Amino acid sequence: MKLRESRSRKVFKAVNMIFILTVCAMIAVPLWMVVITSLSPDKLAAEKGFVLIPEAIDFSSYIRVFKSHGYMRAFLNSLGITVTATAFSMALTTTMAYALSQERLMFRSFLMNAVLITMFLDGGIIPLYMVVRDMKMIDSYGALIFPVAVGTYNLILMRNYFRTLPESLIESARLDGCSELKTLIRIVLPISVPILAAVTLFYAVGHWNRYFEVVMFINKGEKYTLQVLLRQLIFQGESEVTTQVAVNNFKMAVMVVAMLPVLVLYPFIQKYFISGIMLGSVKG
Amino acid sequence: MKLFLKKFCRQKYIFLLVVPGVVWFAVFKFFPLWYISKAFTDYGTTANPSFTGLDNFRRLVLSPNFLRAFKNTMILSFYNIVIYFPLPILLALSMNELGKKMKKVVQFTVYIPYFFSWVVVGGIFTLMLSPSDGIVNQILQVFGKEPVYFMADSRYFRGVLVGSQVWKEVGYGTVIYIAAISTVDTQLYEAAAVDGAGYIARMWHITLPCIRSTVATVLLLTVSRVLQMFEQIFVMMNDSVKNVADVLKTYSYFEGMQRGDIGYATAIGLFTSAVSLILIISCNIFSKKVLKEDIL
Repeated sequence: MKLRESRSRKVFKAVNMIFILTVCAMIAVPLWMVVITSLSPDKLAAEKGFVLIPEAIDFSSYIRVFKSHGYMRAFLNSLGITVTATAFSMALTTTMAYALSQERLMFRSFLMNAVLITMFLDGGIIPLYMVVRDMKMIDSYGALIFPVAVGTYNLILMRNYFRTLPESLIESARLDGCSELKTLIRIVLPISVPILAAVTLFYAVGHWNRYFEVVMFINKGEKYTLQVLLRQLIFQGESEVTTQVAVNNFKMAVMVVAMLPVLVLYPFIQKYFISGIMLGSVKG
Repeated sequence: MKLFLKKFCRQKYIFLLVVPGVVWFAVFKFFPLWYISKAFTDYGTTANPSFTGLDNFRRLVLSPNFLRAFKNTMILSFYNIVIYFPLPILLALSMNELGKKMKKVVQFTVYIPYFFSWVVVGGIFTLMLSPSDGIVNQILQVFGKEPVYFMADSRYFRGVLVGSQVWKEVGYGTVIYIAAISTVDTQLYEAAAVDGAGYIARMWHITLPCIRSTVATVLLLTVSRVLQMFEQIFVMMNDSVKNVADVLKTYSYFEGMQRGDIGYATAIGLFTSAVSLILIISCNIFSKKVLKEDIL
């Protein structure tokens, strides 16, 4: 295949490499600095603002975060909401996607079109707020679970995957007397692990990162999530740890905790995310 | 007949599976649409709201703040489409020239920020661009420049918004294009190489035409999202840059949620949706004509 390794080819390769390395550096360096600064002692962080090369490793800012009642409660709120909301999202999305993938469902195309329309027809922020308010969900965790439960894109992704499953498999399970729900749980879900993993992770990241809905639906400080407290700390200089001047290492430590689940899971999940995108883009 | 009954029974159970989802869509997607009718009332400002016809829309077009928000939305949308949209294509094409292992490492790196919240991304930018101890201003000082308060300077803030958008989402777009490029038939490249086509010629004449439909889809998605941009600005904006960054959705939010003018805020939302729809349809016409792809 390699016909000639000409000079122009070499130049092209070098330029290409420089471009890619620049892009990577612009993404990796800030992240590196955030992590390293969060691990630096107060004096160093206060002096330099940002630490590029670790001189001393020190967990004191993390200890401060985890000792702080406010941040800990927000962290647990975020965690609890993420787990519950993801479970609820998955239950709703899986059942609906499966039903919509089956030809025998009544009004299938009507329902499918209704779902698709919601991607373009959007009431906006205020109408959704009014619905949630009328349902008496303001200031409840439910407001962070129910109104945001289904992502239309995720639903369509999953439905498209279910449609590729061999029909004979589902048919024979049903002829054997399996109920619809049993067929879904015993037959369909075990062979749909890639899409289930991808969509679960999409939802989990979305619920963990949620910020705006929390501010809109929740007014009580004790129900705030970590993202809200991080915003207050960095943009408004308000800290739950009031005795401590919030130096950069403390801010970074809160930030690292706010990205922790994503950072820890990312190496394992990125292939599912990528396969999720591929599944969607091939059949979209 | 027996068969039909059997079929109907099964039908009943699969219908039960779809019911929870249908109820959810009815409550949280379709029911809010009814509240759009508030756009034609003075709801929120008086105790007894009454129908006011197009009053809210008249106020809209006469309000300088609305015109400012509309202008800002258009400018930021334009930057997003012109600057943010082509970058993932460029990056994907360039990554495609790498070895398999290197490609994976790069993909791993550029895709990370997509999973961070806007609070985290905005926070990283705020800290990096801080005038007192941010790394960017430290570098500027080395070159003898005055420190710049990027986050509060209306000359730079739009740049910060576009920059953080690129930083967060360039990897996501890249992964989509890489997936598309991987489906291109490699025989085409071999044939072109035999014909003496250079690497750039191959990119231009084979890769790009083959991923045309993906480009068109992503363009449509980008266009449908630009007017809806909200969370990023909601997180990063402060009063000193409101004049360049207040967009339609943030304007609607502040009018409705903070000033309580629900009718007016809903009218802004309705206007935004209408413009968005026009943009989406024009974008589809554009891709039909130029890219020969019909997405909708």
